Amino acid sequence: MAETILQVQHLSKSFGANAVLKDIDFSVSPRDVTCIIGASGSGKSTLLRCVNLLETPTSGDILFHGKKINGKGVRASEYRTHVGMVFQSFNLFSNMTVLENCMVGQTKVLKKSRQEAEANAMKYLEKVGMAPYIHARPRQISGGQKQRVAIARALAMNPELLLFDEPTSALDPEMVGEVLSVMRDLAREGTTMIVVTHEMAFARDVSNHVVFMADGVICEEGSPGQIFENPRQARTKEFLSRFLEG
Amino acid sequence: MNRFVQLGADIAKLWARYGTSYLSGIRNTLVLALVATLIGCVIGFICGILQTIPHPKTDHPVKRFFLTLIRGIIRVYVEVFRGTPMVLQAVFVYYGLPYFSGNTLQFQSVWLAAILVVSVNTGAYMAETVRGGILSIDPGQTEGAKAIGMNHWQTMLYVILPQALRNILPQIGNNFIINVKDTSVMFIISFTEFFAVHRGAVGATYLYFPSAVIEMAGYLCMTLVASFLLRWWEKKLDGDDSYSLATGDQLAPTAGMLNHPGKGSNFDERNREFREAAKNRNFSSRGER
Repeated sequence: MAETILQVQHLSKSFGANAVLKDIDFSVSPRDVTCIIGASGSGKSTLLRCVNLLETPTSGDILFHGKKINGKGVRASEYRTHVGMVFQSFNLFSNMTVLENCMVGQTKVLKKSRQEAEANAMKYLEKVGMAPYIHARPRQISGGQKQRVAIARALAMNPELLLFDEPTSALDPEMVGEVLSVMRDLAREGTTMIVVTHEMAFARDVSNHVVFMADGVICEEGSPGQIFENPRQARTKEFLSRFLEG
Repeated sequence: MNRFVQLGADIAKLWARYGTSYLSGIRNTLVLALVATLIGCVIGFICGILQTIPHPKTDHPVKRFFLTLIRGIIRVYVEVFRGTPMVLQAVFVYYGLPYFSGNTLQFQSVWLAAILVVSVNTGAYMAETVRGGILSIDPGQTEGAKAIGMNHWQTMLYVILPQALRNILPQIGNNFIINVKDTSVMFIISFTEFFAVHRGAVGATYLYFPSAVIEMAGYLCMTLVASFLLRWWEKKLDGDDSYSLATGDQLAPTAGMLNHPGKGSNFDERNREFREAAKNRNFSSRGER
């Protein structure tokens, strides 16, 4: 078995008395595309936010290349430079242009020179098809364009692992396609990704590992073929049938 | 009508005798208001940032203790200086120092005392304004910054504060304009700003109303110019309304900008029916004429 990038062990998270994640275990190997599916409120996004330490796990370990990254003595900001994140609501910096959005992390956090940062940013903006819009501000472009810039911003940090938190849920239906096609390209090139999504077709066709969550636990996981063609658990069947009917 | 002529004559008389004093008063007022507002903003930003440092329960107890202490101190500072008149603060500071030190310590210049009082006062108001400005920024901006590896200070410096500054700029403008007018209370520590000149001039000439007209006009000019400059700065921070596409070829349409009508649809010019209909339209309009 190849070396794993990320290992989540016995992860739990509670908000007060409300247990959102209960004893989650899973791991990610290089070039894996893991899709996390499940109903709203099942803890998918919280799990992803725990992986990026935007939420502090209540208990359990998160290992990145075998090293524990949650708990004391670890600089969350340093770890986050290796793990990119794309949000449902884009979260582009509204005081910067598209190009500056993709450069600020490189110049201020990675301390790259402006020329190097700009060249790198342009490379990824071209990849997502947003190169013509570098002088635009986030408020001037559409949702799908914003999300593509957000993907370029994350890529420009050259992360080893890319997290997507429902990247198409806030988009108009006609803009979903442009974002998904960028993500498909990334998957084809071997980018390691964890994607929380409601796009079942994407999960089925693009991922190599599907995790189905319900009520804060991993109900079932496996290859897309296994989950979509042959689900074992009743809850998985029920969830998928609702999607296939609708 | 002749009262106005009289007024003009009185103003001319005042200006002839005290013109340079009025002008230097205006200069002093503007310098004091500007410097004090700037220092006040710095104090306000520092307080605002210190107050918004997150202190989760998981942090080290010592760190949490210090953060709570800092919050307490800032709170007291804000409440005391916001809650007492500036004219009294000036007296308190200017005469308090020699009183307590047995006249060994005094303010070497009245400028120093005036700037200290006005900026500390402005800082108390700005602390709350900045805190509000920071809280008004969408938490998603902080998450976006953290997600690319920024720490708290970088997040503040490059993402949150520039946006907060834009949002509170009208409030900073308010403070500056208030300072232009309220520095007039600094005559109490014999600081010769614009209003002090008025007191001097009318003491000698008894031309109360004409001098007041000069004062009114002078203050209004200062504040109007200030408003205008602040509006201009706001617009500048907002950036251009439009942006230029960065394509090498100016004529090349960018993907998604041109929307061709579907082939064969009613709006497609290559469609035979469209051409027929267009021809008919032309004929009929000609026929009507």
